[in-house]
Amino acid sequence: METPQSSYIPIIIQAVFAAGFVATMLGLSHLVGPKRKSQIKDENFECGIKSYGNARIPFSVKYFLIAILFVLFDVEVIFLYPWAVNFKVLGIIGLYKMLLFMGLLLVGFFYIIKKGALEWE
Amino acid sequence: MRALTYTSFLGIACLVLEIFNLRKIVVPVVVIALLAILGINFTEWNGSSVSFYNDMLRADNFALAFTGLLIVTAAGLVAMSGSFYDTEETKLADYISVIVFTLCGGIALVSFSNMAMLFIGLEVLSISLYILAGSKRRDIRSNEAAMKYFLMGSFASGILLFGITLVYGATGSFNLAQIALYASGPGVDPIFVVGVIMILIAMLFKVSAVPFHFWAPDVYEGSPSLTTAMMATLSKVAAMAAFYRLFSVSFVNNFSGFAWILSVVAALTMLVGNLTALNQDSFKRMLAFSGIAHAGYMLLAIMSLYQNTANALFFYTVAYTFASLGAFAIGISVMKRRKSEKIEAFNGLGKSNPFQAVALTVFMLSMAGIPPLAGFFAKYYVFFEAIKTQHLAVVIVAVITSAISVYYYFKLILAMWTKDSEETDAPAGAISYIAIAAICLIVTLALGILPSLVPSINQVASK
Amino acid sequence: MDIKEIIFWSLSTIAFITAIYTVIAKNPIFSAISLLVCFASIAGHYLLLNAQFLFIVHIIVYAGAIMVLFLTTLMLMNLNEETEKHKPAIAQIAALVIAVALGIVLMLAVRKANVILTMGPMTDSIGDVKSLGTVLLSEYFYPFEFISVLLLSAMVGVVLLMKKDKTAALK
Repeated sequence: METPQSSYIPIIIQAVFAAGFVATMLGLSHLVGPKRKSQIKDENFECGIKSYGNARIPFSVKYFLIAILFVLFDVEVIFLYPWAVNFKVLGIIGLYKMLLFMGLLLVGFFYIIKKGALEWE
Repeated sequence: MRALTYTSFLGIACLVLEIFNLRKIVVPVVVIALLAILGINFTEWNGSSVSFYNDMLRADNFALAFTGLLIVTAAGLVAMSGSFYDTEETKLADYISVIVFTLCGGIALVSFSNMAMLFIGLEVLSISLYILAGSKRRDIRSNEAAMKYFLMGSFASGILLFGITLVYGATGSFNLAQIALYASGPGVDPIFVVGVIMILIAMLFKVSAVPFHFWAPDVYEGSPSLTTAMMATLSKVAAMAAFYRLFSVSFVNNFSGFAWILSVVAALTMLVGNLTALNQDSFKRMLAFSGIAHAGYMLLAIMSLYQNTANALFFYTVAYTFASLGAFAIGISVMKRRKSEKIEAFNGLGKSNPFQAVALTVFMLSMAGIPPLAGFFAKYYVFFEAIKTQHLAVVIVAVITSAISVYYYFKLILAMWTKDSEETDAPAGAISYIAIAAICLIVTLALGILPSLVPSINQVASK
Repeated sequence: MDIKEIIFWSLSTIAFITAIYTVIAKNPIFSAISLLVCFASIAGHYLLLNAQFLFIVHIIVYAGAIMVLFLTTLMLMNLNEETEKHKPAIAQIAALVIAVALGIVLMLAVRKANVILTMGPMTDSIGDVKSLGTVLLSEYFYPFEFISVLLLSAMVGVVLLMKKDKTAALK
């Protein structure tokens, strides 16, 4: 899988195109679209209950628990990538090594379930 | 180096026990398993094939000896955790598995032969300790300790990683022997030197040497006492051994440039540690500063690197570990009963619990280096090695500071024997604390009488 | 100038500016977003060096997951209060002096460095995922398995520190 950096040029072109498309569309809708401005129109909620208070209230820590567990398993999944690319070269030994790694983390996964860390109280 | 593999599986076994609701048996199972691993560990003693797993680990006698010490320490801590966490039974298995994971990190640190293992080992050790430091969730001091330790520790890990990267950039290898080969060659690159200094800084942080010691007192004081005991013994010994291993294998040839830095650091560490310990009134804080001072004495062994210093360092760590572990065992039991961490909490212990008072007195005297005890020979060996390598000035500082240290150790001893406590009812405390303290007492006395009991760790067989 | 050089310099400029803005921004959210841009440009550097795996990891784990964590942490805090005190001037000056000194030492060291001597021949396969995977699962398989201990320890820690105590809730 020899890849000189020049092979990334299509990707760069695609990225530039995607960004350019978004920018063009936003600009276009700004130019072409109708503009009506009034105090009522500019409110966060045009209809319904009048908003009060501040949106920046502290989150529950429960989200953070899920977020950290996500990161941990994310790191685990990342390690699958170099193994998967070499799947045939590494053969059955590589599979065992990977199974050991996954197995150890699977214990962690069962532990998390047992502890009820994924339950939303 | 099968000990590391088995210990890792033991930690995972704790989690399995927790999954199957078997947390009642976890303490005895782990202690017995650790002792079994200790036995397995010493079957490799003086072994002929020392390189393991593509030279990631080396089971030379240095590694085996320190692994043994760490396993014994961890077994003691696990044995105490049953009664220490008696109010949080549902979390017992979790705590014990984290303790075992810390031990895994420690074993990797004393037996690594590759920078990758050094770094992962240090991270396993540190992350487990951050968790344990903050494990008293409702206690603001525990939160503070975890936060401080985490921020500063991860910064130090970052510096270590940067240093390893630079060393890799200069040498093209993570292997200690390869790095040593490069370092002994002509024309060492400047980035190699910068890398080694960065690694040096990170290691000095981990062993809490002055001027990288600021985290230690706050973290020691705020953490739950058992975690403090772990930081003072297991973590400090592992970091010290890793430090020695790294510098004695890889950087010994260009060491003359670092020796003077280390001698200044060692002298400062002993001075600051001992002088600040003088006016502490908290037991844990006093032991924290005493731990800093002891790190200074251990640095003497690293400073005077050559053949025999490994023996001196090992003897010192054995003496220090058992004295500390014993002191914490009694300290935890007393602090738990009196619900105070001040030195006044120990008032009148001599009358209410003579055995505990005697044991604690012996541990304090051993740490101060009073002759017939293990601590005396530990200091003697280390000073002797330092004198042999012409570090007389530092040894003079060391002798003076150990004389100073007697004062604050005696403050505790006097509190136990001469002062009276208002509280007269003092139940004996859990049996596990007393048992650990008794074992530590026996070791401390035995090593004082027969210092040759500690095996020489010079490798007999060829590498 | 070569196209690679142009990319290198523009990425470096972006990384440098956003890194500084991360530190000096008053609003923590701006700080986090600027760090995100910094990560992205560093990922671009990895790609220039043909380190594809690092690139992917950097985008997925750092720019993706870790940044989400940072932002979640910011949400956990009360951002309305301006509670953070400024450090005393002496500390700021000391930090600046040390950072500049470290920078100078590193620059001097790198300028004098002679690093390529011991490396093997530079081929296109260096740093790509395939060769990394081979090394990771053969020579470095023990540290690789040991990483699972690190992850497990972190998992236990998360549950230990964050999960509400069931017994406490019952009482």
